[in-house]
Amino acid sequence: MSIVLDQLTKVYGGRRVVDRVSLEVGDGELFVLLGSSGSGKSTVLRLIAGLSRENSGTITLFGRDVTHLPAQERGVGFVFQNYSIFRHMTVAKNIEFGLRLRNIPSAERRKKSDELLELIGLGGLGGRFASQLSGGQQQRVALARALAYQPRVLLLDEPFGALDAKIRAQLRRTLREIQRALKVTAILVTHDQEEAFELADRIGVVERGRLLEVGTGEELYARPQTFFVATFLGAGTVLHGRCEEGRARFGTLTLPIPSDLPHEEGGPVRVLIRPEQVVLGEGAPERAPVLGRGTVVEQMFSGATRRLRIRLPEQAGLRQIFPVAPFGETGTLVEAIVPSDRTLPEEVDVALKGWRVLAQPQPRLLVTTPGTEWTEPVAFATRLTRDVGGTLAVLGLAPDGEDVEAARKEIREKLVENDAAAADVKVRAGSPTEQILAEISESFYDLYVSDGRLDGDRRQMASGSEVLERGRTPVLFARGVPRAVRSILICTAVGEPGRTDVRFGGWLAARLKARVLLLHVSRVDADSTPAWVNAHLERGVRTLHALGVQGDAQVRPARTPLEGILAEARTGNHDLVVIGRHSGPARSVRGKDDVTYQVLRSIDRSVLVVPADA
Amino acid sequence: MSAVAPRVPDSPARIARSRRRRESKAGLPVGILLLVLLPLLLMPLGAVFVFALRGGLPGFWRAVRAPEAQFALRFSLMIAFLTAGINAVLGTFAAYVLSKYRFRGERTLGIVVNLPVAIPTVVVGTSLLLLWGPIGLLGKWLDPLGLQPMFRPAGVLLAHLFVTFPYMLGTVKPLLDELETTYEEAAYTMGAGRWTTFRLVLLPALRGGLVTGALLTFAHSLGEFGATVMVSGNLRLRTQTAPLYIFAQFEAGDIAQANALAAVLAALSFLIFFFLFRYTARAKKAA
Repeated sequence: MSIVLDQLTKVYGGRRVVDRVSLEVGDGELFVLLGSSGSGKSTVLRLIAGLSRENSGTITLFGRDVTHLPAQERGVGFVFQNYSIFRHMTVAKNIEFGLRLRNIPSAERRKKSDELLELIGLGGLGGRFASQLSGGQQQRVALARALAYQPRVLLLDEPFGALDAKIRAQLRRTLREIQRALKVTAILVTHDQEEAFELADRIGVVERGRLLEVGTGEELYARPQTFFVATFLGAGTVLHGRCEEGRARFGTLTLPIPSDLPHEEGGPVRVLIRPEQVVLGEGAPERAPVLGRGTVVEQMFSGATRRLRIRLPEQAGLRQIFPVAPFGETGTLVEAIVPSDRTLPEEVDVALKGWRVLAQPQPRLLVTTPGTEWTEPVAFATRLTRDVGGTLAVLGLAPDGEDVEAARKEIREKLVENDAAAADVKVRAGSPTEQILAEISESFYDLYVSDGRLDGDRRQMASGSEVLERGRTPVLFARGVPRAVRSILICTAVGEPGRTDVRFGGWLAARLKARVLLLHVSRVDADSTPAWVNAHLERGVRTLHALGVQGDAQVRPARTPLEGILAEARTGNHDLVVIGRHSGPARSVRGKDDVTYQVLRSIDRSVLVVPADA
Repeated sequence: MSAVAPRVPDSPARIARSRRRRESKAGLPVGILLLVLLPLLLMPLGAVFVFALRGGLPGFWRAVRAPEAQFALRFSLMIAFLTAGINAVLGTFAAYVLSKYRFRGERTLGIVVNLPVAIPTVVVGTSLLLLWGPIGLLGKWLDPLGLQPMFRPAGVLLAHLFVTFPYMLGTVKPLLDELETTYEEAAYTMGAGRWTTFRLVLLPALRGGLVTGALLTFAHSLGEFGATVMVSGNLRLRTQTAPLYIFAQFEAGDIAQANALAAVLAALSFLIFFFLFRYTARAKKAA
């Protein structure tokens, strides 16, 4: 192996800009690090070159541990985006610079630079200065300069970023030819997926300092594991559902889960459907899984093909997370592609001839903070995120006109102080509730942690209940100091909400390794528990066991459901109360007769409300 | 060539060149400018030469050859050379530190090193005396040890270093700021150490600024009066610089002597600025 990175980490301003990156690049390979700007891909390159110092991890080049060597002794070639040709030297002198430092006699240097000038297609231009060359020519010189002293590793940091498309294509070819001819091992950093596909032997996708996936272009396109890679490379639709009885369930559609991607029972599951995998028409091909019947809402002509968006009606247990649906959109938008000459009726059946179930996503939690305070919900969410092994996003709500960047910085500092530096910081300005709802619809969250109060300061609160009323994300009303959640009380009723609350609560319990009590409140005056209640509870306990959760069921007689729930919450000393919610148009949580509202108002514990269609 | 070069802010020179000059009807404004400049700049300068040559060339020659005049001139040139040399090194170093490192108080330090241009030179002289002089803060401890820079050539040098410090910084730092960090980093990855990089990569890129800064420092040092008069004690044949000599001769009523040296100083300054002008013009052409 030419280049071996092991657990390479770089911390900057409390944030891991390079986060435990491990990578092996083979001899003569051209490896491309692909990521959006600020993902940390360039920092990885600078660490390898020794231009920046890692906080931990090791770098091995051709079997030699260079982690503690200065840049000068690593013997790598580096090409910068801005060329950085020495202006006071001729092109030839630039190319000979590395040789001159190595005390190579001038005749030999001359020969080498002539050779390289020929190789990069600038033969005879050795006497020119950088100011007399175009950008593309300068970058060719930079490439020759970095190769002159025959380094075994060549690092290129967005080398074509400053050039226009035509020159870029030419230079890509030149680079590929030279790299092959000299058999030098190279790592190239880019944000351009086309460039990555075209150049790379293998691609590594970097996001937020992490090397997410490594593979050939084809592999990553056809079989991505993560949501980020699935959507960063190529187009498609990503749906979110739950794992039930070993299968991925998206509303009425169930798909097998590949054996190499184990999923937790009850946990979230995502599937990627590329546009070319969507089959449209009247009726579905035999044995093709059917997503449903939808209408064509958008058509875009693009030469030989037409790109379509099909909208399917809202379904419980199915949520679309990519492409990001416009705010207020409740249906599912599926991307498809058809030959341009094909005409489609307005309504079509949508079936799949292929799909890719992604690796199980980590739970994503969202919490908001008014201004930049370190509030109880933030502390609670931080704790909970750590305990469930998920990722947290902190949404700062800056009043209109306030400095968003300053707020972001302040929140980040608070997070670092409180040992939660891994959290994402987002800041939005404007009306709090609207901003939270917008955030939830733009990025997918498994759970929203809200302030525990139901009413009060409009600026801070009401957001929790409004998120419930207007969204499908489960909301946790955090109350009291954060501590480990050991015992969960799931208040279940028979019917649709009784299924999702047990599944979601059970999955959370499995992650938290908490005990669960399933509670059903029966009327005091009832003679005996009806058989269907017992059957429901039995199914619930079985579900919990399937999730690997220790769980019991209890039927508690009481005058009202609220009374029963309050009594059990008190005597059982549960840390968290989970309660379901009916879906449908009347979602208001603040109705006087609403059990959920009554529980939220009267109980002094954290309450998790799970919408039936979550 | 359709490549997009990395964006570099246009230099003032380039902007000036690209601006179309209005050549017609230039007569009137140019005339007014000359009319204003005549009494302000041109006539005084002319007067120096007129008066210097009043006694004819032999008289001029005699005045310049006087031992005291000779000493003053040589002393001034020596101090100017030393000042330019020392400040070239110090100023470049200061520019390097201020340009390449990020540290607390960086802005304040940036202001402090530029202060000398804002402080009246007489005040500089006074403050040096109050530090190094026989009763000064440091001087009162050093004086008994026989270390007393004031009223000695060393004192004059100290004053000149102080007063001219910002020139080097002002010409070198913008050049350093403009160089991307990758410029040095490219050299590092090729195997050049910090010093080698400075010598082979940075220094050549700074050449223009160094020459300009050194010439400016030299010229200012040659003409320095306010601080010098305070710290030198104006001792004939010991610490008297050319400007001090001129002033002393004037005071003593020996106007011919004063004028002769004044003419020499003026001619020297012309020469320096001629070089400066030619150099920058050539550098502009090369860029």
